[in-house]
Amino acid sequence: MTVKTRESKFERIISYFGKAMAYLVMSVFALMTAYPILWLIMNSFKPTPEYRVNRIGLPRTWTLVNYVGAWKIGEFSKLIGNSFLYTIGASIGIILVATLAGFAFAKIKSKATAPIYGSFVIGILLSIQSLMVPIFLEVSQLDRIINDLLRLIGIIGQQNINIFYNSRLGVLLIYIGAGLPIAVYLCTEYIRGIPDSLIEAARLDGAGYFETFRRVILPMAVPIAMTVTILNITKIWNEFALINILVSKTELKSMPLGIYRFSGTMASDYGKQFAALVIGMAPMLIFYIIFRKQITKGVFAGAVKG
Amino acid sequence: MNRRPWKVVEERRAYWSMISPAIILYIFVFAFPIIISIVISLSNYAGGKMFGGQSWRITGFQQYVKLAGDPYFWLAMKNNIYIVLISVFGQLPLGLIFAYLIYRRIVKFGEFWQGILYMPAIISVIVIGIMWNIIFSPYGLIADVVNKSYAAGFSRQVEQIFAEAGGFQITDQVVKQLIAVSDPSALEIFAEPIEELKALLLAYSPDQFAVVKQDLVNLLARKWSAAFLAKRDVAMLPILFVVLWMWTGMYLILFLANMQKIDTGIVEAARIDGASEGQIIWRIMLPMLSGVVVNAAILCIAGSLNSFDLVFAMTGGGPARVTQLLSIYMYDRAFMGAPDYPLANAIALAIVIFSLVLIMLTKIVERRYGGRE
Amino acid sequence: MKKATSIMAVLLLLSATVAFAGGQGGEVKGAEPTVLTVLYYIDATQAGYAEDQAIWEKFSAENPDIKIEKEELFDQAFHEKVAAYVAAGTLPDLMYTWPSGRSTALHEQRLLKDLTPLLGKEFLSNFVPAAIDPSNQKSGYLAELPQSVTYTTVMYTNTKLLKDNGLAEPQMYADMKAMVPKLKAKGAQTLLMANKDTWVMQSCLFSTVTGRMLGDAWIDSAKAGDVDFTDQGFVDTLGFVDTMYKDGVLSRDTIQIAYGEGPALFAEGKAAFLVDGDWRQGAFLTDSSTGVALIDPARQKSEFAFRNFPAIPGEKNAGQVSAIVGVGFSVSASVPAGSAKEEAAVRWMKYYYSPEVLKIKLETGAFIPSRKGITSDKIEPFTQMMPEYYASINKTCYVLDGVLDVDVYTPLNNGLQEMGLGTKNPTQVAAEVQDAMKAWQAKQ
Repeated sequence: MTVKTRESKFERIISYFGKAMAYLVMSVFALMTAYPILWLIMNSFKPTPEYRVNRIGLPRTWTLVNYVGAWKIGEFSKLIGNSFLYTIGASIGIILVATLAGFAFAKIKSKATAPIYGSFVIGILLSIQSLMVPIFLEVSQLDRIINDLLRLIGIIGQQNINIFYNSRLGVLLIYIGAGLPIAVYLCTEYIRGIPDSLIEAARLDGAGYFETFRRVILPMAVPIAMTVTILNITKIWNEFALINILVSKTELKSMPLGIYRFSGTMASDYGKQFAALVIGMAPMLIFYIIFRKQITKGVFAGAVKG
Repeated sequence: MNRRPWKVVEERRAYWSMISPAIILYIFVFAFPIIISIVISLSNYAGGKMFGGQSWRITGFQQYVKLAGDPYFWLAMKNNIYIVLISVFGQLPLGLIFAYLIYRRIVKFGEFWQGILYMPAIISVIVIGIMWNIIFSPYGLIADVVNKSYAAGFSRQVEQIFAEAGGFQITDQVVKQLIAVSDPSALEIFAEPIEELKALLLAYSPDQFAVVKQDLVNLLARKWSAAFLAKRDVAMLPILFVVLWMWTGMYLILFLANMQKIDTGIVEAARIDGASEGQIIWRIMLPMLSGVVVNAAILCIAGSLNSFDLVFAMTGGGPARVTQLLSIYMYDRAFMGAPDYPLANAIALAIVIFSLVLIMLTKIVERRYGGRE
Repeated sequence: MKKATSIMAVLLLLSATVAFAGGQGGEVKGAEPTVLTVLYYIDATQAGYAEDQAIWEKFSAENPDIKIEKEELFDQAFHEKVAAYVAAGTLPDLMYTWPSGRSTALHEQRLLKDLTPLLGKEFLSNFVPAAIDPSNQKSGYLAELPQSVTYTTVMYTNTKLLKDNGLAEPQMYADMKAMVPKLKAKGAQTLLMANKDTWVMQSCLFSTVTGRMLGDAWIDSAKAGDVDFTDQGFVDTLGFVDTMYKDGVLSRDTIQIAYGEGPALFAEGKAAFLVDGDWRQGAFLTDSSTGVALIDPARQKSEFAFRNFPAIPGEKNAGQVSAIVGVGFSVSASVPAGSAKEEAAVRWMKYYYSPEVLKIKLETGAFIPSRKGITSDKIEPFTQMMPEYYASINKTCYVLDGVLDVDVYTPLNNGLQEMGLGTKNPTQVAAEVQDAMKAWQAKQ
């Protein structure tokens, strides 16, 4: 039962003012968010010639021609599956690898932890942009070396197989790697907070480290997994620079690359461009609307007490 | 301390096998490329095949010296600092306050606000770039609205002037008055304003008053100009606002999630003891959240120093490089036409060093003022 | 035991992923098709995109023994990819290349084959001399076959707008200047340029101004160090641009107009003249997928014209226009000589540069081919008007970013914008360019 505190009149006014300000700012932000999305969706149903003369009003003719055209030209049917694969795959991969490492860093004493963990933290500061060219070098050279090796042993014939470059595996691995620094940092901090007693208990039952991880840590790591996923998921879904470097075959590309094809500076066909953008945005929006409750509830449920 | 019932060997094996996936991937994606990056920044590599092509060698810190002497580097750095400031002192406090308001149910519809404030993170930057253009272009939305109002005001003034002169009379007096209410920059195109304007007006016949009015508006009225977007510092303001809008929601969710882990009993106890909202935030929540706040600050700093997509989509770093960021500067040098890899990599490392400095600062501040319950 | 099973599971997973990784080279033994990798620069929202795709598909259909793996990119994505390829030394077999500018690295590092021996003198004789002249390319040899010769300055003129306002087409700059108040009163700009991108002013207007007022020989002397950019002559050329802004001929607002906005604004009648390159005419033509044009073909002939920029005060070389050889395809130097790949690449080149394909490109307004004798009755008025414009030009001059090093033309580009914003004056800009030039000369 809450007891009303004594507030002076002055405090009351401040608090009303404060509330009003809060509502105001949040509403402005909300409008700034809603408007572009609605505007985009609305214009995607407008034929391009009409858009040129009517940029902000409702369409006089509603048409699907933009979507049909964009979907076909952008070959989105090939791309959408890839996007899901990369996003879900990388997210799961990041969580697994990071919590595993986090467990080790947090709960096992070792002299190696400080420098290694430290380098992960520094990794948070690096931008992928500056590393694109070296990564490409690595990937292509590695492929070449492995191909030569395999050819020597006689496993493959004349043609090259793509292990890292132009392959889904390569993209996944790099995405997982790219998301690791933040994930490892957060997971380690979080797992430090898990009481040793729980781990002891599992160990006393005779479980090995991996088993302990599976039984104790993983279930308890759901909140931080959620946090990490929230942080990573939109970044991965919209990721564009890395995958551009890593693949050239259309069958392996993801949605952002498909959308990019329409973002022309030579833009004449705004209609298709908008349709492409909506197509790109829709999955994230849907995911978000559906899972919003799950996300916040998940955090609630995982709250650790005591 | 209990002696663990396992052998040290097993422990060590477990440790290494658990961190090895992370380490391998990390080396692959970060460590090795960063080493290459550092080496290149100290070399004279000029594009072309890196291994097996023309030879290149280490040449020293030339690039860094070059950077230090380039005023555009510092301009980009300054712009980045603005973004860091708005992020750390804008997004974080705002996110914190909103989260608190929602947590304490001071504002209603918490779920809704959470949802919509986080949404900007989902919108593709391409869309934002397009909208930016539509809004700020000289033929865009703002221009439309503002110019209409200027036009209306000027129109009235023109009417007034002619009314006072008793109809459509072209006298020197009238012309002088018109000039007095005109936009100075619009008058620049005239060498002899009075004569030329007079000549222009005499070309119309008296029954064309409406046309005259419209033409005068086109000619002389103030027009909204996006000139502020071309001034250093000022041009960053709209960008900063967009940055604020984009990411505050993410921190809101982060803080809210962590607030909800705090034992509500403590908060209730404090209220019963007569604490005000302010005291609750300051004495209870902040200390308990200090870890999260620091994490968020680190994310913030790293993100803002590396931000590229958003600003590139909006202004491309321009016009005339006034909104250029370090990352855009790097992109310009590394990827356009004749790439200057050493310089580009030097910039990348400058960004890292700078980030480290800022993060150290953050950690120091936390040690001083933070601390868990 | 648990450990064994988990190890086996991991191994299985690994092998599955390797198999699943995708991208095996060839599936069937025996007559495997030769694979040609291509990096192409095109934007799916461009007019003529559908026709372009059809061209590629037709080639694949007619040449079943060649498998084309094409990647389409442009702008940011393209540059980043090229930079990565160059660093690794693994260019795609066929590449879309500029004669200099963006593709400088490719030329300077000799990453492209010389096309003269590859395509043969006979084939090349079908093209206008300027296109096959190797001195027009940064590499000094025929690294790419220009698909067109590009005139970077075209004054797209709205003749109807002028007529409606009782204005005659300008012969001299002073005529243009006199138009400004009249046009402004009617809500129209005089000269429209989409200057938000830094390269536009320099490529599309300033190069012509420099050519007219100073001439190519002067630029050559400047590169040799015999004259400086701080000399009065060059300062005056910059001064002319400055004057255009001050006179209101060019509105300072143009610096905020994004490159993609230009055609639409001009088509709506918001300006009397649009200065842009000849490639821009494609933006106004009918898009086959929607059947709509920015400027209706009927209006193209009757309401618009392509004119040369009027006489500039103090010009020495009247009527010159900046031109540069256009983009085209090139073959990577790493394709083994005499291999099936090389033969396939040559086949592609001869197909793409054949009269049939070039005719389609002409019809969609993509470019005016550099091959002699390509005509069509299906082209829209604008595409007919362009060669007539070319014919009216007696001599061409340099496009500055084709002959100057990037470190030198970058301060020039930025300086031109800053002059437009009023934050720098011609003398300052000239000084910056000269400093950059000195630094470049020191590196030679």
